[in-house]
Amino acid sequence: MFVYEKKLQYPVNIKNPNPKLAKIILSQFGGADGELGAALRYLSQRYTMPLPELKATLTDIGTEELGHLEMVGAILYQLTKGMSEKDIKAAGIEDYFVDHTAGIYPQSAAGVPFTAAYIQSKGDAITDLHEDLAAEQKL
Amino acid sequence: MTEREILTKKLSSYQFAIADMKLYLDTHPNDSDTIKKIKEYSEKLGVMRKTYEEKYGPLTMSDMSGNKWKWIKSPWPWEVEEVD
Repeated sequence: MFVYEKKLQYPVNIKNPNPKLAKIILSQFGGADGELGAALRYLSQRYTMPLPELKATLTDIGTEELGHLEMVGAILYQLTKGMSEKDIKAAGIEDYFVDHTAGIYPQSAAGVPFTAAYIQSKGDAITDLHEDLAAEQKL
Repeated sequence: MTEREILTKKLSSYQFAIADMKLYLDTHPNDSDTIKKIKEYSEKLGVMRKTYEEKYGPLTMSDMSGNKWKWIKSPWPWEVEEVD
């Protein structure tokens, strides 16, 4: 069960929009090593963990990753807010805009849509924890 | 910084400290000093939450004070805060 709190984990208040930067940061939202992948990884792996310490840790950090996802989403939203056609062309993000306009879509900077293939959940604690350690090194 | 931003930051730093201590307790559940510290911080956080919700609207949907649905009235957290 999850309860939403109407507040970011850390405030995001971007004064100067920058769509070009948004295109890069988008990978942290829905890319191979992004927050969505992290949240799904921990929240999927936790079920089969053999010890309460592990179930608790994966539940809690998986939840925290959802909070990170929301902050990155806020960054993307604010970086692309109020873009004009000229801004879109100048930033070189016409390829994103044609499919999503200013919508926040989980994909990588190169345009690959988010996929569950970025994560694993093998039902074996050592295997899953090794994957988690490797994933954290990539962020 | 606006008054709201100052309070939000203070509230968030207490939440962050509590969340980090809870993560530590997930693997060290018998550390009574940390449990004591969490209780101390949570009490302070409770007061801050109350002040925040009275001034700026509910943080969770369970806050049903008043007879109007305030949940949709306050700004969403991804919107840029207006300067007072």
